[in-house]
Amino acid sequence: MIEDPKTAVAMHRWMVLSRVLDEACCQESAHWFPSRGEEAVPVGTFYGLRPDDVCAPGYRGSPIVFVMRGVRLEQVWAGALGKRTSFGRGRHFSFTAPIELRVLPYIAGDLGPIISQATGTAFAQKYRKSDAVTAVSFGDGTSNRGDFHEAVNLGGAWRLPIVYVIQNNHWAISMPIERATAAKRLADRAAGYGIPGVAVDGNDVLAVHAAVQEAVRRARAGHGPTLIEAETFRMRGHIAADTASYRSAAQVEEWQGRDPIRRLEERLLAAGVLSAEEAQAVWAEAAQEVGEAKAAAQRHPDILPTDLGLDEIFSTPLGGA
Amino acid sequence: MPARRMTFVEALVEGIREEMRRDPNVFVLGQDIGPFGGSLRSTLGLWEEFGPARIFDTPISESAAAGLCIGAALEGLRPILDISFGEFLPSAMPQLVLHAPVVHWLTLGKARVPLTIRTKVGEGPYGGHPQCFEAWFTHVPGLKVVMPSTPADAKGLMKSAIRDDDPVLFFEHMYLYHGVRDVVPDGEHLVPIGRADVKRPGKDVTVAATAWMVHRALQAAHQFAAEGVEVEVLDLRTLAPLDVAGLLASVRRTGRLVVAHEAWKIGGLGAEVAATVAEQGFGYLKAPVVRVGAPHAPVPAHPTIRRAFLPDAQDVTDAVRAVLKYSA
Repeated sequence: MIEDPKTAVAMHRWMVLSRVLDEACCQESAHWFPSRGEEAVPVGTFYGLRPDDVCAPGYRGSPIVFVMRGVRLEQVWAGALGKRTSFGRGRHFSFTAPIELRVLPYIAGDLGPIISQATGTAFAQKYRKSDAVTAVSFGDGTSNRGDFHEAVNLGGAWRLPIVYVIQNNHWAISMPIERATAAKRLADRAAGYGIPGVAVDGNDVLAVHAAVQEAVRRARAGHGPTLIEAETFRMRGHIAADTASYRSAAQVEEWQGRDPIRRLEERLLAAGVLSAEEAQAVWAEAAQEVGEAKAAAQRHPDILPTDLGLDEIFSTPLGGA
Repeated sequence: MPARRMTFVEALVEGIREEMRRDPNVFVLGQDIGPFGGSLRSTLGLWEEFGPARIFDTPISESAAAGLCIGAALEGLRPILDISFGEFLPSAMPQLVLHAPVVHWLTLGKARVPLTIRTKVGEGPYGGHPQCFEAWFTHVPGLKVVMPSTPADAKGLMKSAIRDDDPVLFFEHMYLYHGVRDVVPDGEHLVPIGRADVKRPGKDVTVAATAWMVHRALQAAHQFAAEGVEVEVLDLRTLAPLDVAGLLASVRRTGRLVVAHEAWKIGGLGAEVAATVAEQGFGYLKAPVVRVGAPHAPVPAHPTIRRAFLPDAQDVTDAVRAVLKYSA
């Protein structure tokens, strides 16, 4: 039984597009951060938010969130291929989207600061007395940083309209979560901040979406943050070139059987929401869209040495005000 | 313009108060800045006027507070972050050096971080938290760094910092806080960021100084005047971007340069000032550049060794005598 077939079908389409895009980008770049197997978390978390809500997706799997917010696939490719038309014009890897779409950029290469920054957009939403909210996702590894503790504590103390989502994929590069913390459930950390903590099956997009939407309702109503732990698994290495030889094949195989896209497809087929042909067509369309977008982006102009932008570091010139 | 006499910290608070009245997007957050009135009275009176809607006491979480400010700025607000003491800046380093300064450049100018971070450094009435870390931040592209020495500049630079669309680090010297009282123009008094100021003109030696060392340089200049030596005191005021033109113009007039700051000499701002003059004004120099700064030791607690550690007016005097030995 699927409560909201329209949403389920839409999220299925986004997850398939995410998978196809991600595999293609991994082929293009050895340094791409693969998101295979984790699609349900970004899609379930950020699907259905309002244009005035702020999205701060974790870097792994974030491109699909950009596309869900209105970025064209061709623009994602421009970033992946290092074209002049990319949002950062070569100043940044492609994990950034236009700020006007209310997607927070991954500003630097360290992990954690974005949790405080998202807490800041939630602060601004409350300061302005709007009922907009912020959703931020990040990995289990990042949840061991002091940034996580300070930000979630502050968000709780000030009852800010924010949803914190831990995309627990079990691995921080080569460090398994079991060795990184004695905590059994990362959602339990919420108790330390006096906010609700919810553990959810991160490979069930409908469950992720339901949990996040419930937290969004609480936030909009002024009841403050929720911490959600969505348990999933990083099916590939940290980057495309990482063979992940540091972990057991048995663990990977076990999670192979819980693939979030296949699980949703099976449910959609069983419920008669989608036919096998329709499901197949979604994959075919995604492959065609991704291929066409890449071909188009390949024709975009290349970065120029002058794009260093030495005169664009400050918004106001020397002598200011 | 009508003016009143006030202390350095009163001038800072007046600048903040006027900008908060002018723009509802300006707010202040930090530790103990509400009913407590700020450490060393850094926010005295703001809570009474603006209350909890604009003044936010934070838990001891400098990093989260700095990150929160960046997020709020991306949503169009203009935060003033009060980091009680410069010694707490390292706790917020990722936000301050990796994140806030690059947003404008990274987003091709579409996003801005109009954030003012104010913090207290240097020797003060209680001797606590004295370390001067301002030079670190001048190394980072995208940050503006200011450090005034007078109440008038304190107010004028604070107003400019709050109106500036880039992140500005505002270093407030603790000795000056209640120790200096002077005339401050009322109302719309803006001191531009990026301009040094000649606090005393002279033709024989330039002493380029910051914060309390400006006052020590003025003290030394006064003594030299009795000997017929004219010392020009150049208050750098903005450390980044450095006022290279103002600096070179002064050295061109005097031909001799002493750089004085309370921070450690090694790797300090004085090194950058000296190198800049060596590169771009070598022809003006009649003598080597001499730097005055603290020895390369941790800052000691007890007043006796603290005095031995801190650069003082005598150090400036000695440095001026050293460069005067060279004739044209």
